[in-house]
Amino acid sequence: MEKRVTFSKSTIGILFAVPQLLLIFTFFYWPAGQAIYWSLTLQQPWGGGNIWVGLDNFRSILSNPDYWNSISASLVFAGISTGLAMFIGLLLAALTDRQLAGSRFYRVVLIWPYGIAAPALAMAFRFILAPEAGFMAIVNRAWPGFWDPGLDGADAMASIIVAFSWKYVGYNFIFFLAAFQAIPRSLIEAAAMDGSGVVRRFWDIQFPLITPTIFFLLVINITESFQDSFAIVDIMTSGGPANATNLMVYKIYSDGFKGLDYSGAAAQSIILMLLIIVLTIFQFRFIERRVHYR
Amino acid sequence: MVERTPFLNLFTHVVLFLGFLLCIAPFAIVAIAASHNLRDVNDVPMSLLPGSDFWLNVETAWTTADLGPKLLNSFIMAAGVAGGKVIISALTAFSIVYFRYPGRTFIFWLIFVTLMLPLEVRIVPTYAVVANVLSPYQTILDLTGMTWLIEKVSGVQVSLSLGLLNSYTGLILPLVATATGTFLYRQFFLTVPDELTEAARMDGAGPLRFFLDILLPLSRNNMAALGTIMFLWAWNQYLWPLLITTDQSHATAVTELKQLIPNVGGIPEWNIAMAGTLIVMLPPLVVVVLMQRWFVRGLIATEK
Amino acid sequence: MSMIKRGLAALAAATLSTALAMPAFAEPVKFDFWFGLSGDLARVVDTMCKNFNESQKDYEAVCTSQGNYDATLQNTIAAFRAGKQPTVVQVYDVGTATMMLSGAYKPADKLMEENGYKIDYADYFPGIARYYATSKGEMLSFPFNSSTALMYWNKDAFAKIGKTEAPKTWEDVGADLQAMKDAGYECPMAINISANESWQLMEQFSAIHNQPVATKNNGYDGLDARLEVNKTKFVQYVTDLKKWYDAGLIKIKSKDLGQDMVQAFASGTCQVILTSVGDHGTVGRTQKEGMNWDVAELPAYAGTERKNSLVGGASLWVLSGKSDAEYKGAAAFLNFIHDPKTALFWSTNTGYIPVTKSGFDYMKSTGFYDKAPYKGREVAIASLTASEPTEITRGVRLGNFTQIRAEFGTQMQAIFANKVSVQEGLDALVKNGNAILERFQQTYPGKTLP
Repeated sequence: MEKRVTFSKSTIGILFAVPQLLLIFTFFYWPAGQAIYWSLTLQQPWGGGNIWVGLDNFRSILSNPDYWNSISASLVFAGISTGLAMFIGLLLAALTDRQLAGSRFYRVVLIWPYGIAAPALAMAFRFILAPEAGFMAIVNRAWPGFWDPGLDGADAMASIIVAFSWKYVGYNFIFFLAAFQAIPRSLIEAAAMDGSGVVRRFWDIQFPLITPTIFFLLVINITESFQDSFAIVDIMTSGGPANATNLMVYKIYSDGFKGLDYSGAAAQSIILMLLIIVLTIFQFRFIERRVHYR
Repeated sequence: MVERTPFLNLFTHVVLFLGFLLCIAPFAIVAIAASHNLRDVNDVPMSLLPGSDFWLNVETAWTTADLGPKLLNSFIMAAGVAGGKVIISALTAFSIVYFRYPGRTFIFWLIFVTLMLPLEVRIVPTYAVVANVLSPYQTILDLTGMTWLIEKVSGVQVSLSLGLLNSYTGLILPLVATATGTFLYRQFFLTVPDELTEAARMDGAGPLRFFLDILLPLSRNNMAALGTIMFLWAWNQYLWPLLITTDQSHATAVTELKQLIPNVGGIPEWNIAMAGTLIVMLPPLVVVVLMQRWFVRGLIATEK
Repeated sequence: MSMIKRGLAALAAATLSTALAMPAFAEPVKFDFWFGLSGDLARVVDTMCKNFNESQKDYEAVCTSQGNYDATLQNTIAAFRAGKQPTVVQVYDVGTATMMLSGAYKPADKLMEENGYKIDYADYFPGIARYYATSKGEMLSFPFNSSTALMYWNKDAFAKIGKTEAPKTWEDVGADLQAMKDAGYECPMAINISANESWQLMEQFSAIHNQPVATKNNGYDGLDARLEVNKTKFVQYVTDLKKWYDAGLIKIKSKDLGQDMVQAFASGTCQVILTSVGDHGTVGRTQKEGMNWDVAELPAYAGTERKNSLVGGASLWVLSGKSDAEYKGAAAFLNFIHDPKTALFWSTNTGYIPVTKSGFDYMKSTGFYDKAPYKGREVAIASLTASEPTEITRGVRLGNFTQIRAEFGTQMQAIFANKVSVQEGLDALVKNGNAILERFQQTYPGKTLP
C-alpha cells in the first residue's frame, strides 16, 4: 500500500525509524542471528563447544513424522482459534459500539481476559474443562465418555483452542472497538437518515471502514496463535495426549528450554519463522487487496 | 440513534451479557478459590460457594510474597513497555508510511519479522546481550578491524561494556523491541485522508508538525488500545523478569507469585496462590478502566 | 619537619591499612544460590538461608528461587554463558549427566577439601550418593532435597476386603484391586501416565526389579548407552497396568483432568496410589476427615529379589569461575546443609528425607518418626536401603533425559488410548529415545562421563 501524498525529506524520514531499528538490531537480530548459527551446528548448552553440521539439523527434523504432526496440529490450532477469537471479538465490539445502556461497563470488562495471569487461567480452565470435576463433568454425566482430554487428542486440542480464543477475544475486542469508535458518528447518522437499518449500515459503512483493523488482527492473531500458545499448552496439556497438542512453538520450548537441545530448537525456530513469514506474505498479497484504506 | 430497534436491542443485551459471563467466569472462579481453606480448595469438585478465608488468604499472600514493592516494580516495567511501544512504533510507522526512501519496504519487513520469534525461544542469546548491551557493537568493531585501527591511532583499547541485569532498562528495552505497534499504526495511518496531509503541507507545516499536531491526536483510539494491550502483556511477563532480576529490589509481582504457587510435592496451597494471583491481576484491570476514557468517537469524516 | 612528615606518613599508612582491613570485618562475602523450588518449599529454603546467614558473619548466601527446575537450569546456563553465574545452583536429578559434561562446575568433594571441611562421604545413604556420584564414586555435587516413591494405601478400603496389610507383590495388588472393585469402589487405584511419572512407573520399577532402563549400566559407563525397556520385566508391568485399566480397576488421574492422584487419594476417591514420599505431608493435611491410610514400599512381582528404590530430587552444584572468597562461602554453606540439625529442620518443614545416616539417626533419636504426621516416612529410608545398589540400581544417567521422559508420556498415552499395543508403544519409546541419545552423544564428541 502506498500513500499518494508523502513528505520529501527522506533523511528525516529515516531518522524517525532509527530508534526502533537500533532496538531490534540489539535485542532481536543479534540474538536471533546467534540462533541461526546454532541451527547449523550441534551446540553444547554450556558453551563448551560446537560442531558444524550444515543442514543436518533441518534434515533430521523434517524427516521426523512427529514434526509434521506438530506442523499440522499448529495449523489446525491457528485456523480455528483465530476464527473463533476474531468472530467473537468483532461481534462483541460491534454490539458494544451501539452504545446502549451499560456499554461503558462492557467495554471495560470485555478486555479483561487478556489481562489474566497464567496461573489463574490454568486454575480456571482446569476447573471448567476437567472431565470428572468441573463444568464438563455435567456433560459427561449425560453422555459418559464424551469428554476425555486426558486420552482423546481432539478433546485436548479443543481445550487449548478454547483457552487461547478466550484470551484473544479481549485482545481483538479492544482493537475492534477502537476502530469502530474512530468512525465518525456523522457518517452513520447520515446513513440512518437515508433509512438504512442497523445491519445494513454495518455491512455498508462500518465493516469496510474497519477492514484495515481486521487485516491487522488477522495477521496478528495468526502469528500469535503460533507464538503465544506455549504457555497455555504447557499449563493445560503439556503437548499430550500422545503429541496431539504438541504445537510447533511448544516443541521448540520443550526441546530447547527443557531438553537443552539448542541446535534442534534453533532449527525448528527458523522453520517456524519461515512458515509464518510465508503465511504473512500470502496475507499481504491476497487479503490486503480487499482492505479499504480510504 | 433515534430509531427503535427493540429486537436488535434485546439481542445486543443478551449477547453482551453472555460475553460478560464468559469474561468474568474465570475471575470469579479464582476469587472463589481464594476464599477457601486448604482442604476445601483441594476438594473435587471445588465448591462454588465462597469460603470464609478470603481476607486471611489475601493477607497471607500479600505478606509472604511481599507484594507491595513488587507491584510498584511491575507498574514501572509495564508502563515503560507500554509507553515505549506507543511512542517508538508511532515514529517508525510515520517514517514508513509518510516518506518515500529506498529500503522503506525492507525496513517494514525487518521490523515485522520480529513478530515471528518469541523472546522465550531466543532467551539465552538475548540474556547475553543484556548482560552487556554493547557487546554486539564491540564484536562488530572487532570484526571490522575498527578496534585495531582505533588502538593504533589513539592508543585506546576499545572495550564497550554496559550491563543491564537487575535494572529497569534491562527489563523494559528487550520487551519493547517488537513490531505489533508499528503494524497497527501503519494500518491506521494508511486510512488517514491524504487531504489532511496536503492541507498541512499547504500551510507550510513540516513533517514533525504534521505528526504531532494532526496525526497523533487522530490516533488517540489506537494509542489507547495499544497502550492497554501492551500494559497487560508486559505486566504478565514471567520468564524474562525471572531471568534478569536476581536482586529482589527489581523483582516483579508476577515472578514473585512463585513464592505462592505450590511446588510438586509441596503443600497445595492453591487458596493462597489464587489470592496472590488475584491481587496481582487487579492493578492492570484498574488500568483498563482508566484507559477506556481515552476511547472517543472519531471527529473527522473520511469524506472523499 | 621531617618528624612531622614521618608521623603523617605513619598515620596515613595506619589509616590505609584499617581501610583495607575494614571490609573484611564489616561486609560479609556475598554469594548467589539459585534454586528451583516454589511455594512453601521455596519459603523453607529462604528460611534455611536466613539461618545460615545468622549462624556466622563471614558469608551471606543470596538465595533466589527460579520457580522450577527447568527454568533454574536454563537461567543458570544463560548466566554462565554471559559470565554472571551463581556460585551454588540446585540441579534436578535428570540434569546430572548434562552437568557432568558441562565443564562448568567445581567438584564438590574438592571444594570441601580445599576449604578444610572433612565430609564423611560414606555417611550418605549409598542409594542417594551413587545417584549423583561419578561411576568411580566421586561426589561432584551434594545431594540436597531427596525423596523416593512409595505406595499409599487406604486402610479403610483394604479393611473392607479383609486386609490389614498392604500388598507386597503385584499379583496381590491385582487381586486386591479386583476385590475392592467388587466391594463397590469406583476407583481402586489411580495412576498418571504423563512424562514425569516415568520416575514412579519406569525408573523405580526397574530399579526394584534390578532391570536395566538402558545399556552400559543405565548410561553410567558411556554416552553410547541405549534404552532397552522394551525387553525387560517392564513390558509385563505396563501390560498389567493396561489390563487393570481396561477392567476399570485403575483410573487415570492428573492435574489436567481436574484432580491429580494425590487429591484423588486424599479425598478417599481412589484407594491406592504410587507417588513420592514428598506427598506424605500433603495427604495428611488435605485428607478426608477420619480416613485411615498408610504408606508401604512399592510392590514387586512374586519371586523378585528386591533391590533398592531410586532417589529423586536434586543436588547442589558449585559452578566454576567464581572467586576464592565465594568458594569459601559456598563450602561453609554446603557444610551447614550437611549438618544433621539442618536435616531435621529440612525434613520437618518439607516432605523430603534425610540424605545421611547420621541425619537419619539424629532424627530418630529426637523421636521424629514416632508420631503423626511424620510417622511412616521411615519406610522411604527402608525402601532406599533395601539393598546395596547394584550396577543398575545406582540410578539412570542418560543425556537429555527430560526429552526421554516426555517420550515416555507420549507413548504411554498412545498405549492407554488403544492407539498402539503395549509392545509397539514401548518399541517406539526405545526407538525415539535412542534417537535423542544419539543426538546427545554427537553433541559431545570425544567427551566421556567422569
